[in-house]
Order: sequence, then C-alpha cells, then structure tokens
Amino acid sequence: MRSPLTLSLALIGTSGALVAGVELALFADQRAAPWWLLASFPAGGLVHLAAGLVAWRRRPGNRTGPIMVIGGLSWFAAALANTAAPVLVAVGVVLATTPLAVAVWLLHAFPSGRLRSRTSRLTVVGAFVVSLVLEAPRYLFDPGASPDGVLAVGQRADLLQAGTWLQRGAGMLVMLVTAGVLVDRLRTAEPGHRGVLLPLYGYGTLAVLATPLGPLLGPPAGLSVVQVVGVQIVLLAGVPVAFAAAMLRGGFARTSDVQELSAWLASSAATPALLADALGRTLGDASLQVVYASRDGRALLDGDGAAVDASALGEHRALVDIELGSRRIGAIVYDATVVDDAESVRRVGQVAALAIDHDRLTAELRASHADLQRSRARLVDAGDRARQRIAQDLHDGLQVELVLLALEAQQLARVEQAARLPEAATHLRLGIDGAARELRGIVHALMPAALVERGLTAAIEDLVDRMPLPTRLAVAEVDGRLPATVERTAYFVVAEALTNAVKHAAAETLTVTLEHVPRRLVIGVTDDGVGGATQQAGAGLHGLADRVDALGGRFSIHSPAGGGTQLRVELPCGS
Amino acid sequence: MRVVIGEDEALLRTGLTHVLQAAGFDVVAAVGDAHELVRTTGEHVPDLVVTDIRMPPDHQDAGLRAALEIRRAHPGVAVLVLSQHLQRAYAVELLGDRASGVGYLLKQRIADVDTFTDDLHRIAAGGTVLDPEVISLMVARARGQHDALDRLTPRQQQVLALMSEGRTNASIARTLSISERAVVQHTSHIYDQLDLALSDDDHRRVLAVIRYLSS
Repeated sequence: MRSPLTLSLALIGTSGALVAGVELALFADQRAAPWWLLASFPAGGLVHLAAGLVAWRRRPGNRTGPIMVIGGLSWFAAALANTAAPVLVAVGVVLATTPLAVAVWLLHAFPSGRLRSRTSRLTVVGAFVVSLVLEAPRYLFDPGASPDGVLAVGQRADLLQAGTWLQRGAGMLVMLVTAGVLVDRLRTAEPGHRGVLLPLYGYGTLAVLATPLGPLLGPPAGLSVVQVVGVQIVLLAGVPVAFAAAMLRGGFARTSDVQELSAWLASSAATPALLADALGRTLGDASLQVVYASRDGRALLDGDGAAVDASALGEHRALVDIELGSRRIGAIVYDATVVDDAESVRRVGQVAALAIDHDRLTAELRASHADLQRSRARLVDAGDRARQRIAQDLHDGLQVELVLLALEAQQLARVEQAARLPEAATHLRLGIDGAARELRGIVHALMPAALVERGLTAAIEDLVDRMPLPTRLAVAEVDGRLPATVERTAYFVVAEALTNAVKHAAAETLTVTLEHVPRRLVIGVTDDGVGGATQQAGAGLHGLADRVDALGGRFSIHSPAGGGTQLRVELPCGS
Repeated sequence: MRVVIGEDEALLRTGLTHVLQAAGFDVVAAVGDAHELVRTTGEHVPDLVVTDIRMPPDHQDAGLRAALEIRRAHPGVAVLVLSQHLQRAYAVELLGDRASGVGYLLKQRIADVDTFTDDLHRIAAGGTVLDPEVISLMVARARGQHDALDRLTPRQQQVLALMSEGRTNASIARTLSISERAVVQHTSHIYDQLDLALSDDDHRRVLAVIRYLSS
C-alpha cells in the first residue's frame, strides 16, 4: 500500500513535469538563444525536483528533500524569463537568481535540512536578499531587461552599474561566510562523514560561485557567453544530484521508517549489538550509540559497562533519554549535525524502549548470575574451610587428649599402692572433664545451645555475656522465633563481627543492635576502635556477606580509618 | 529420698539412675520427655526432680520450662537442672523470686559423684546450688557494669562467688580453710560495698547477690 506521503510526492512530481513540459513548448518558437540552452532551465528544475522527491520520500523527517523541491520550483520560475508572454517573462526576470539562493540554503542545511546556527540563518536570508532585492536594479534601471521595459523605472546606466556591483559584493560576502561555515563544519565533522562532506561542499560552493564569476572569468578564458551559461547551468543542476547521492551513502545512508524498526525489534534478529545499528539506520546516523541507565537510573553506561558522561559527549553529539513508564532506562547519543530533530529520536527511542530494557535486564541478569556463581563458590569454600578447621581442632586437641587419657586409664591397672588409686582415678576424671569442656566449646561454636533452645535474642545475650569487652545490647521488637536460617545467619554475623572487633579493632566498647522492622531484621554491630576494616580483609566477613546475600539480605560496612567500624546487615524475614 | 529423673539420652538416664540409687536415693521414675516429666512429677510428687534442659518434644528448652512449671506447681519439690551449656538467663529464671530448693549445674558434674550427691542433698533440703562456671560468667560480666566489684579484695571476691553458688557460711569456711567468723566479716564487708540489705537467710542472700550480678 502506498503511503499518503508517497502519493503527495507523486503529485508534486507530476505537476513539476507538466510545468516543465509547458515551458519547453513555450520555448519552441524562441529564437533568441539555442533551444537546448533554453530547455536546460526546466530540465535543471526537473533534476532538482526528482532529487528532492527521492530524498523526501526516503527521509521524510529530513528537510533536505523539500528544499530541493523548492529549488526545482525556483528553476521553473527563472525559466519563465525565456518565454514569449510578457507577464511570465517579468516573473522570470524578478526571480532569475533565486536558484542560487536555494543552492546556498541547501549548502547550509545539509544534511539535516535545518539551519542550525544563527550565522547559517542570517546567511541564507542574505542569499535571498541578494537574489530578490539586490537583483532589482538590473530590471529597474535597464528597460531592455524586461519585455517593453515593463519593470523599468528609467534608464540609468550608472545606477545599474552600481546595483550590479553591490549585488556582486553582497553575493561574494554571502559566499565567503558560507565557505567559513562549511569549513568549520568539516573541521568538527565525524571522520567518516568528512570524506563525503568535503567534495560535496566544495562542489556546491563552486557551482554557486560560477554564476557571478562566470561572466568575469569566461570571456578571458575564451568561452562564449552561451558556453559560460551552459557550464553554469550544468554545475548548478548537478548540485541536488550530488546532495541526494550523498544522502544515499556513508553516514547519510538510507533510513528505514519506524514501522520497519518495530518489525525488526520483534524479530529474532534483534540482538543488543545490532540495536544501535538498527536505530542508526532508522535515523540515518551511523554514529548513533545506545547507552543504558544503571540500576538506580542515575548513571549511564555503554554496552561494556563503562560510564558515559552526558555533559562531555563531544561537539555536535546530542543525547535523548529513553523512558519506559516514567523511568529512564537509557539514552540515545547521536550526531546532531545528521539528525537535527530530537523529537524523531525520542519517537524511535520509545519504539526501542522495550528492547533496550530487555537488553538492560539481560545485562543485569548476566552480571548477577556471575555474582551468584562466585558467591556460591565462596559459600562452598567457606563450608570446606569451616569443616577443615573443625577437623584440625579435633585432631590437634581432643584426639591427642583422648589418647593420653586412655594411657592414663591403663596406668590405673598398674597403681601399686591401693591407697593411691582414688587419687589417680580423680586425676583421670579431671582429665576427661577437660576433654569434655573442649568438646563443648567446639559444639558450641558450631551451633550454640542458646540459639537452638531459645533463639536469636537469647543466643546473642549469651554471646554478649561472654564478651571480654563492655558490650551493649539493644533489642527492639524481636519477639518469638524467626526462621532458623535468619536466626543462624544473624547470630554468626554478630559473633564474627564481635570476634573481629575484639581481635583487630582495639575497641573499648562494643554495641550490638537487633531490630525487627516489618519483613526485615536489621542487625548492627558497632565499635569505637581504629576502623579501616573492609569486607575483603577478613575471609570471615566475606563469607558472611555471601550468607547474607544468599538470603536476599543487605550487607554494608562503614569503617573509616580512626572512626570505628559500623556493620549493618538487613535480612528479609517474612513477617 | 524420692527422685524423678528427666533425661532423653537413654544411656545417661540409666547412668544417672544408677548413680542416684548407689547414693541411696529412691528413683521413682526416669522419663525421656518434658511433658511426661511434668505429668509423672504431678503423679509422684517426689522430693527432688533432676532434669536435662534440651528434651523432647521440641528439643529446645522444654526441660527448663518443665522445671519452671514444676517449681510453680509444686513448691515443695526441689529441682536440679542439668545442661551442657550454662546461661546467665536460665539461672535467673530458675531462681525466680524463690531461691530455695533449686540447682543449675553442668551435666559433667555428675562424674564427681561425691560432690554431686552432696549438692543433691543440699537442694533437696531447700538449698541453692549454682554451677561455679555460671557464677564466674556472671561475675565477669558484672565487673564491666559495677565498679564496686573491683573494690573487693581477691578473698572477698572468692567469698562472693561461693555465696552466689548458694554455699552456706560453714561451707565457704571449709572451702577457703578460714573460720566461719572470718566468712561473716567478709560477707558483711561485701554487703557494704555492694550496698545490699543484710540478710541471715541463705536463700535471700543468694537471690540478692544474683540479682545484683545480673543487673
């Protein structure tokens, strides 16, 4: 199905072709100039029109196409000067140099089709002033310029001369400023675009300059007036062709429309790496980048996870946020010289939002999966190390002690004086008492009796009772039993933190807080010691961080040098 | 003297029964469940109940709760609680506001049969017996809270610990090889230092000291 745009463009094209046909017919009985020279005006108009319509159709959001179409109309208008009808001739004479002004407009507006700087806007206005207002002396003071001198107010060779020089001077000024703008643009252009822009700007400038300079430079070079005009026309008519061609290659590649983008996003071909390419194709900017919002939405990260500074994107780079709901999920960074219309970027971003969010979630999921793998490995490792430590404790202590006790028991049989037997037996019992105490210590470290019998608060009270340093305990709202995994994790977090504080912090007092807020248990262990503790420093704390993570909790440690250590752990606990 | 035993470990239950029988106690029942213990005690109303803390049905502190219930329901029945691990909170709960006829000891104290049976008799006779380990835990903790404890001489601290275990002046005198008169002097000095109300009643004395240490 053809879109309304395509139909409108077809209509414009057809009308243009009709106008050109009528003009060609009107030139048929003109003998003032060779027919081909006369025909070249409507032909140039048709070239403009065709190039403009192609560009317009392929990039509807870009105004380069419409400008070329206007250029085509200006050529048709200028061509009227060569007809035989006095009124049409008068119109043609008045508008004779407008094609030049449109060419200047095109130079300034390419590739986005908009005039982006004040200088450009003033220069283009200047170009139109030169072609419409400063053209006036030519026909006002020269009765020969219009049929029967209808446009003339008198024959004043001096004023005509002055007007001509004024127009040339102003025209040169317009072209000098244009050249300056174009050189500056080349300087700051993307390297990939420069190769296309340089010949294009060079050619455009040359084509415009050929009109005022042709009559000055042509005759000395041995060219007839007809030949000069022919060269000028061919050069100018080539301008839209060159610009339209430039839009079809390099960074100004053909754009697909938003519907096409939607279809592509829905297909299985859509992968993160290709997303930026697809968006770039839709907007016609090969340098387009997609960046993703970090989890908190504050920072922007590129595909490799490196932070992107939105305030230092580079000259001509612009950024448009991509939002899903009211949440920023990413942004599109594009070349503002290529895509001038932020609204179209936003529209494309909206279409791509779901895909971008999906990419972001995938990236997060991959990252958290990798974290999970590492954390699981550490948990397994921590379990192994705990087992090894218990085995070592039993092997070095209790096992040796039991062997010695067995020997001692055997000695009882050899006690020669019966009177010494009770003493030896008591000695043996005390030895066994010692071994039993050691065993109780190991069992307690593995799973404290109070934790099993009474739960978290009782176990931590018992722990605090046995601390060698003054330790304050504040418990709020922790009534009854919590899930066993929560109780155990909370207990071992506090136990490890207290052990670390006693061993490393050189603290004087310690504080333990337990608070049960809705759905969470908040644990705090604070000391007034030397600080500087990190989660990485102690394998014990790291192992506990993994435990906390495994339960979906949060683990944070604040330990500035000299400022004590504050450990805070939150565990989700159902109610 | 009639005794009911609560212990879920069969071997230990049998061993305890033998030790008590050998020491002349009449073991009227030995059960392995806290609810059963309360029921059996109500049935026999013995002179003494000896129970473990961690017991079925919940394998948590059912034995302790049974002991507290028995002390509430049968003020005349003495109760000894045994455990692998001692806790200040349990000692305070067990004493409640009535320090008579109650004991709290490490399970391994059974092995020192003479001292153990001695303790059983003291408890059954309405005395208080707290394990030295739980007392030293309480004293160590209390030193961080009360400066007054640091002002006691090492001897006075020994006397304080023995008092807290529920010992009589005579027993303290024997243990420290000093005269009972010296013990009295020490205790009155301790009372002054800790600002406790003087009491001749051994039970009140234990309660006051334990409350002080636990505050």
